[in-house]
Amino acid sequence: MTVQALEIKRSSAAMWGTKTGLREKPVVSKYIDTTTCIGCKACEAACQEWNDLKTVATHQEGSYQTLPHLDADFWNLIRFNEREVDGGLMWLMRKDQCMHCAEPGCLEACPAPGAIVQYANGIVDVDPSKCIGCGYCSTGCPFDVPKFHKTTGKMAKCTLCVDRVEVGLEPACIKACPTGCLQFGSKEQMVAMGNARVSQLKGAGFQDAMLYDPQGVGGTSVVTVLGHGHPEWYDLPRDPHVPLLVRAWKSILRPLGVLAAFAAVIGVFGHYATYGPKEPPEGDGVGEGRTK
Amino acid sequence: MSSASAQPNRVDRAIVVARDRDNVVVAGEIVRHRRATRIIHWTVALTFLIGLLSGMPIWTPLFGWMAYLVGGMEVARVIHPYAGVAFVIASAFQFFHWLGDMHFASDEKDWWRPSRMARYMRWEDEASEEGGKYNGGQKLFFWAVCLGAVGFLVTGIPMWFPLRFPALLREIAIILHDVTFICFLIGVILHIYLGTAAEPGTFRAMTRGTVTRSWARLHHPGWFRKVTGESRDKRT
Repeated sequence: MTVQALEIKRSSAAMWGTKTGLREKPVVSKYIDTTTCIGCKACEAACQEWNDLKTVATHQEGSYQTLPHLDADFWNLIRFNEREVDGGLMWLMRKDQCMHCAEPGCLEACPAPGAIVQYANGIVDVDPSKCIGCGYCSTGCPFDVPKFHKTTGKMAKCTLCVDRVEVGLEPACIKACPTGCLQFGSKEQMVAMGNARVSQLKGAGFQDAMLYDPQGVGGTSVVTVLGHGHPEWYDLPRDPHVPLLVRAWKSILRPLGVLAAFAAVIGVFGHYATYGPKEPPEGDGVGEGRTK
Repeated sequence: MSSASAQPNRVDRAIVVARDRDNVVVAGEIVRHRRATRIIHWTVALTFLIGLLSGMPIWTPLFGWMAYLVGGMEVARVIHPYAGVAFVIASAFQFFHWLGDMHFASDEKDWWRPSRMARYMRWEDEASEEGGKYNGGQKLFFWAVCLGAVGFLVTGIPMWFPLRFPALLREIAIILHDVTFICFLIGVILHIYLGTAAEPGTFRAMTRGTVTRSWARLHHPGWFRKVTGESRDKRT
């Protein structure tokens, strides 16, 4: 989905870096409090409904989790993890979806101009009309979010309901949440709310509670309150980064390769100008018979 | 069968037949590449060109204009792997076709050294009397193309089916595919240059298949002697 009215801040495969926008606008963010999530999956249903996504057959893997991972037709997944903590069982639920990174690895890896854009409000979106379905974005994503859609041949993921946000509505998942564990607002407000909730949790005995807003990808437009300071317990990477090899490929190898190619062409002309062609000596071979 | 003298505008049928045999003198010219060789070579070249035109716009937007030549970015993504497979198959035929001529002679073993290549490019490398049909540089390019084709194939498969391979493998594959391409592109630029402007008389070996005696004597004296039975220094 792309929305014309929204200003684009970055675009994939742009010539001069990825920045395209000039103005700074307030960045929006989701707020997820895993400690008050009850695992009702209303957000899953709301996401499917608002985005008109097809029904995906569920997998029973001995847990309440709908699917093992996100799908091109399933952009919002509550992950259920069970863990023994201090002799008690913790049932850890976390809403998994696109994190809308401030420095999106998908956008950096994407080779199709404009196929992945980041709006000035921080939302990272795929434009199917420009996507070529190569899957580079999924290589660049540290959260394994973009999925290939077999019917369209394009990548699909959470849009942060950009079509709702654009007209001043909150995303469908937020709207549906019955406990208030999902909130939506400016990034600043959501971070402040998250920090307040973390200190509240610490006061209540959750000493290692934390706000997950990973700086390795410049922060995300989904901030998550974790009751336990172990992101991996919630299937989250502890310190996500755009993969080093993707960075090296785009910012070192590619410019070097382009330079080398042009250098070879220029070198060839320079060689011709310097040494000229290698030709047989004058008269060589002339007058020799046509016989063998 | 018509004879050349009866119909001067026609090429003698015997000459046409003879031109399909490698390493023979026909009508004053030497057959260097018979038809099969030329077809294989141009199949490799054409499939490489399609791969190049569909791959380079995906590589960098700097070459995005190439996508228009194949029908757009999405078409490029779809046809690139198939062009690649065709290129690898053609290269495999080429490998077996040329393998026999591509063993390095004892005085060619140092061709991998930049100093030897530079000496050749300064036109200071004395062509070997013992050398065969191809010089060390051509053999090196042959092996580089074969290695490149394998490299493109092995690294291309995880890029073709990204969903079936782990992310780290895909990252490594992309890097190696790029490295292979950059080396290959530089090689092809030099190859085209040497085959056309730099060494006049070479290109026709891949079009009509024949070269002149003087060309053969200059570039491949050992081969020239074997084919014609003449000494290199016969000329006065």
